[in-house]
Amino acid sequence: MQKNLPHICPSCSSVLMVKSLVCEHCQTEVSGLFSMPILAGFTAKEQDFIIEFVKSSGSLKVMAQKLGLSYPTVRNLLDDLIQKIETTQANSKTNLK
Amino acid sequence: MKKWLFNPFTYIAGAQALAIGWGIMIVTSIICFFTKTHFDGVLDLHYSANQAPFWMHLVEPLIDWVILTITIYGAGLAFSKSSIRMIDVAGTISLARWPMLFAALIGFFIHVPAKMQTLQDIQNAFTASMIFFSILELVFNIWMVALFYNAFSVSCNLKGSKSAWIFVAAIILSEIFSKTIYFLLSKQLN
Repeated sequence: MQKNLPHICPSCSSVLMVKSLVCEHCQTEVSGLFSMPILAGFTAKEQDFIIEFVKSSGSLKVMAQKLGLSYPTVRNLLDDLIQKIETTQANSKTNLK
Repeated sequence: MKKWLFNPFTYIAGAQALAIGWGIMIVTSIICFFTKTHFDGVLDLHYSANQAPFWMHLVEPLIDWVILTITIYGAGLAFSKSSIRMIDVAGTISLARWPMLFAALIGFFIHVPAKMQTLQDIQNAFTASMIFFSILELVFNIWMVALFYNAFSVSCNLKGSKSAWIFVAAIILSEIFSKTIYFLLSKQLN
């Protein structure tokens, strides 16, 4: 079963942070308070889209062929992701202040 | 199935949609010639009693398509944040006209009297079948408008209530433009 990394607090809906990281090999644990990478906040579907987009050398035409969707549909999906990235970045800047 | 009926643009757009749309528009024009159906306005459809030359049936949907494409593309350029393409607007709008094929076919079942001068003529024209097919034609017209909206939404990446208002304004503008062109054209021809 593939587990999805939660990124939103189930209690107050704030963005979650990483408290500790563990080495699977020797169980060494690093504790602190780390921000999650922007992409971790995306759904599995959105992450797959980004991976496919990179693998297609950033070609929307190739992406459209791969996904069986029209060019503007793929461009709209990409624009929605850009919008989401910009919003996330703006929110994290506000939180840092 | 629902997606293909109301938003085929998720899968087809650009040159492919344009080729299919133009193909259907030509077939529709041929049917219109035999059924004496006219598309004298972006949203308009009229069944006539008089036979018009074939070129007129060919030009009418072309004028409607060009005007709506320009208006929608203009609206997209003004309001969309995406880098929209003219070919997507042109293609999706041409494909969105495909329900008019069925509307043109209805013309085979509608008989418009040559003279409608007296109240009796009008009363005679409004038979039960005439009303039924008129309502059916309206359904195809509504279907076309729904397709127009989805063509606009996909090709210009505009969603939500704001996009609906922009679309309504674009449709009204294009209807006014097309009606003006048809008025000037009829003045030239007469």
